[in-house]
Amino acid sequence: MSHSTTKPDCIVIVPCSGIGKTYGTVSREAAYDVVEDLRPDQAKLVALSMLVLGDEQTRHAVVTNPVVTIDGCKLACATKMVQESGGEIVKDFAVLDVYRSHRQFKPRGIAVLSEGGQQLARVLAEEVASVVDDVTESSLEGGQNA
Amino acid sequence: MTEILETTVDKFIFKVAADRQYNDEGVWAKSDGELIRIGLSDFVQQRNGDVAFAEVKPEGTKIALGDEVAVIETIKVDIAFSSPLTGTIVEVNPAMEEAPEAINKDPYGQGWLALIEPSAWEDERSQLLDAQAYFERMKIEAEKETEEL
Repeated sequence: MSHSTTKPDCIVIVPCSGIGKTYGTVSREAAYDVVEDLRPDQAKLVALSMLVLGDEQTRHAVVTNPVVTIDGCKLACATKMVQESGGEIVKDFAVLDVYRSHRQFKPRGIAVLSEGGQQLARVLAEEVASVVDDVTESSLEGGQNA
Repeated sequence: MTEILETTVDKFIFKVAADRQYNDEGVWAKSDGELIRIGLSDFVQQRNGDVAFAEVKPEGTKIALGDEVAVIETIKVDIAFSSPLTGTIVEVNPAMEEAPEAINKDPYGQGWLALIEPSAWEDERSQLLDAQAYFERMKIEAEKETEEL
């Protein structure tokens, strides 16, 4: 299923697609938290794999909306692929950096995250939601000033 | 400029600095004046992934050859490393506290772990591998791991 349908003023979230890696799972859990729970009306998920495959709708979503990327490792595939696609990244998160700030939430597990991993994903999701709020607010201000 | 031994295994390029010695775990030791600087090899950092935290025994710690000198936590594993020499830790790389990713970015340079004042270096260095020997051992390990993937 593609998540690439755009709507006005939404922020696109592109998490890591690394399968079989704990930090990749944390990135996706955080993204799901944002689009399904924390900011369902402002944020939309885009699957990195669809960008890699060159899906036109997905690319359109990325180039016509502000993008937040969440990378699972320093290879930063999500960020690089969005840049490659011509998207504008308003904030790029790295799970490792968030973990360094919250060492008490040690992530373990892949298919099922440990308690620490779930907590880390929640913290990350809240940080992403905060960026979504900032972008939404500045968009509204821009619209009022136009 | 440091001479580098280099090999490609599958899609990975592994480098071994030729101007130092190594223990079995891939901890390198290099003379720096009267002191010995230690760190982790490129193979070790690539195999274990991005470093989240690095904890090196504090300055002043007296350490024996084979004692645990550092623990790193990466996105894949928590792993302890043994000291390649006996001595006293006189300096810990300050980057290990704030930016341990230096181990990944520059394992033979900015990513060093500690400076140690040796107490039996001339005897102990003969127990370490020279760069060529470590290079050959590392290649075998890398090829074996790649086959297992």
